[in-house]
Amino acid sequence: MNTLTTVVVAFNTLANALGQLLTPIAWLPDWLSLTLIAGLTGLGMLLAFKYTSNQRAIAQIRRDIRANLLTIRLFRENLRVALTAQARLIVAALRLLGHALIPMAVLTVPMIFLLAQLALWYQLAPLPVGAETVITITLAGPTETPLPVVILLDNDAIEDVSGPVRITSQRQVCWCIRAKQPGYHTLQFDLEGQRYEKQIAIGEGVMRVSPQRPSRHWSEVLLYPWETPFPRESLVQAITIEHPQRSSWIAGTDSWIVYWFLISLVAAFCLRGFLRVHI
Amino acid sequence: MAELNNKTLSRRSFLKRTVAIGAGVSVAGAAGAGLYLGSVNRVSRAAGKKVIIIGIDGMDPRLSEQMMNDGQLPYLAKMRAAGGFRPLGTSIPPQSPVAWANFINGAGPGSHGIFDFIHRHPEKPQAPFFSAAETVAGEGGWEVGEFKIPLDFWPFRHQPPRTELRRQGIPFWDYLDEAGVPSTFYDLPSNYPPSPSKCGHHRCICGMGTPDVLGSYGTYQYFAEDNPPEPVHEGGGKRFPLRFVNDTAQIKLLGPENNLLRKPESTLVELTIHRDTAANAAVIEMGQKRIVLKAGQWSRWVDLTFELRTPWFLPGRSVRGIARFYLQEVAPNFRLYVSPINIDPRAPAVSISEPSSFVTDVARKIGPFYTTGFQEDHKARTNKIFNDQEFIQQATLVLEERFRLLEYAIQNYDDGLLFFYFSSSDLQSHMFWWSDHEPHPSRSPEEAAFYFNHIKRLYQQLDRVIGDIIDRYGSVATIIVMSDHGFANFGWQFNLNSWLRDFGYLNPVECPSILSEIMDWSRTKAYGLGINGLYLNLKGREREGIVEPGAEAEELIEALTQGLLRVRWGDQPVIRNVYRASEVYRGEAMALAPDLIIGYHRGFRASWATCLGDLEADAISPNLEAWSADHCADALEVPGVLWCNQPIRSDNPSLVDIAPSILALYGLPTPPTMTGRNVLG
Repeated sequence: MNTLTTVVVAFNTLANALGQLLTPIAWLPDWLSLTLIAGLTGLGMLLAFKYTSNQRAIAQIRRDIRANLLTIRLFRENLRVALTAQARLIVAALRLLGHALIPMAVLTVPMIFLLAQLALWYQLAPLPVGAETVITITLAGPTETPLPVVILLDNDAIEDVSGPVRITSQRQVCWCIRAKQPGYHTLQFDLEGQRYEKQIAIGEGVMRVSPQRPSRHWSEVLLYPWETPFPRESLVQAITIEHPQRSSWIAGTDSWIVYWFLISLVAAFCLRGFLRVHI
Repeated sequence: MAELNNKTLSRRSFLKRTVAIGAGVSVAGAAGAGLYLGSVNRVSRAAGKKVIIIGIDGMDPRLSEQMMNDGQLPYLAKMRAAGGFRPLGTSIPPQSPVAWANFINGAGPGSHGIFDFIHRHPEKPQAPFFSAAETVAGEGGWEVGEFKIPLDFWPFRHQPPRTELRRQGIPFWDYLDEAGVPSTFYDLPSNYPPSPSKCGHHRCICGMGTPDVLGSYGTYQYFAEDNPPEPVHEGGGKRFPLRFVNDTAQIKLLGPENNLLRKPESTLVELTIHRDTAANAAVIEMGQKRIVLKAGQWSRWVDLTFELRTPWFLPGRSVRGIARFYLQEVAPNFRLYVSPINIDPRAPAVSISEPSSFVTDVARKIGPFYTTGFQEDHKARTNKIFNDQEFIQQATLVLEERFRLLEYAIQNYDDGLLFFYFSSSDLQSHMFWWSDHEPHPSRSPEEAAFYFNHIKRLYQQLDRVIGDIIDRYGSVATIIVMSDHGFANFGWQFNLNSWLRDFGYLNPVECPSILSEIMDWSRTKAYGLGINGLYLNLKGREREGIVEPGAEAEELIEALTQGLLRVRWGDQPVIRNVYRASEVYRGEAMALAPDLIIGYHRGFRASWATCLGDLEADAISPNLEAWSADHCADALEVPGVLWCNQPIRSDNPSLVDIAPSILALYGLPTPPTMTGRNVLG
């Protein structure tokens, strides 16, 4: 698991660096940026498919499929021939699927990291100025031991409304804060003389939102790629900030991924003739 | 060659299709535009004419005059100086649903059919209902296992449960609507469910009468460690116990009933509460969402989603609501108040505005707000969940929210009629009004004066709001400030049914309520229901009527009237007037009218018990409730108030005169359905 986490962290570093290319998202209408990205993704997937799959074999299988379809039409009254053709069709479809496995394997990893980067922009909205939210800091250690004192250090970007409130059974400390200044800010927490940081996004429109600075676990690191995970031995295991959901049919919370998927498929389908790719 | 031919053909067909599509789009567009501009004429014909009405429920003319004289209401005093101030005749009886319906129809209760807060069907006197709207049970449904699914399409045409607006007659905005004058109403009472706009010029967010998601007129939920072990359902709220284990407790918020079940059951949202006694605060967890509250702190609006169970083959359904949490105490006795769960204006479960999208559009701009008709939680104060300060705090939250909504309304106002309603003056006056030197039944004189000053400060706040509107629109708009009734002390309560029993009109003597099974209708000549209504047990009308219409009924009415007018408490007369419905009402909506309407002197009102038909030992008793002032007296005792930034022509204007006056401002005649007259300019 340690190794896997290290690998994911390394990929995240690369993805975050490449993710800087997504910065124009903040300047464009969300539907436009998502459409462009989905279109480019479709193009990328198509090219990846072209160069990682056996195009000649796929073309041959597609010809076989057409031949078998013709057989079924011509020999409709001959049950044996029709059934044989249908069986061949199924086999051909399975072979097509088999030929797609390598491109899929090649595309899986970059797609996961691309989606994680896109989620930073489209899954959640930044905190509007004046909005209140809850920050939760999760601490390491057994639940029986008393919680140490955690201090949220003063920051001009936010106002501390209430807290800290300790949830001993979950080893968590919560604050309610109010957003004051737009922009990306870093919140600092003091715990036994050590400083711990968490980024917060305040403003309108589309911003890169990192709702959690995660613990050093591969799945957490995969889901929350933007901020460096806390070391395994750290007293602080995670810091979470609740962000509002994005309300948009196209690029809203959860709906963005459906739109992205559909547009990338449509783009790939439309471009396949132009790029002469057999899929 | 073949390819070339194909290409040639493609170009031709492309050109043909382009021309055909272009023509089609043009025709459809022209037809659509014609339909839009023709049958639904959306072009404003207000010609820039602006009328702004601020409805302040319960604002009293006596107190207002006194404060204007003392220089405490400078903006309203300025309108008075210009000849724009009069007491405003209220409805008989002076109850808000009746009064606002008078305003809406420009005519009395005989036209709109609302005679009291509470009505009954003559054939079912033991099933009272809210007069302005009635919930009608569903009919039919496809029964599948534990579910009953209404299929409202052909050939099934099942009827799901629904709420119907009981107000009858033609509201005045229909005339504006037809004339192309836009009208926008925020929180209009007596208009739920919203009446439709025929021509698309009318917009309205429903006010008083709008339910919460439970379908009630506001049900708070209160969780405390010292609550009884079993849930208690009290008028306007529910109390639940909660127990902490390691400073964590689980509670369930009750949501709407799932009517898709054959045996409807309440939906629930589970919450986990973590308290930190050292920090005197708590974290409330709802799934992935959390709220952090200190003791004495209110949350902002919290979104709640109640999932409705559906059969496996149907998609899941849910109802959205919003609530505010108030953490009253963390330790030693944890106490948490949850406001009535309001219909979320961003995604209303039922239509609460006309058009339905209006409230959603507003909420998208300014965020969620109270949508229930009664926003100040007077029930929480009456049931001692809140103390006076906490009630003021909650009412202040409501008022601040209203101010934000008013600002939105003003900023988005172009021309036509704008109506905005404030409930704060009414519901806070019910709790804190005490105008005389007589002793308050439950407060010391100092305390009574302290809280009455709060009402005066509220008047001053509203005066400043009016001042702001005058500054912005005074030179270009007709500004009307009005209330539906005034206010009076409510120190003593009169139980009409007990009085009828004592004089032998209602039997048996030991009957605890007219809703009771031991009620003997064969020996009952009259009964009271609602706040001011008295009904004869009339043969041919009531289910078990015994009083013959005609001479016997007349004789009984006379005897009851004389008897009631003789009622004294010490040397004080209790009842000022007894009105005959046949004399004070006229119109086509008289079916549910009471026979007599009791008008009380200031200081008196119908008892709490008698409103829902209950009887008590004594006919007169002190009112010891927090609700210590009221307006359900005689109409002459509690007139409303009218200000205008132009002179008022009549010396004695009445609520029914406002609608004809508004129509006149737009050059429209007074329709024959109205009994009022133009009293402005």
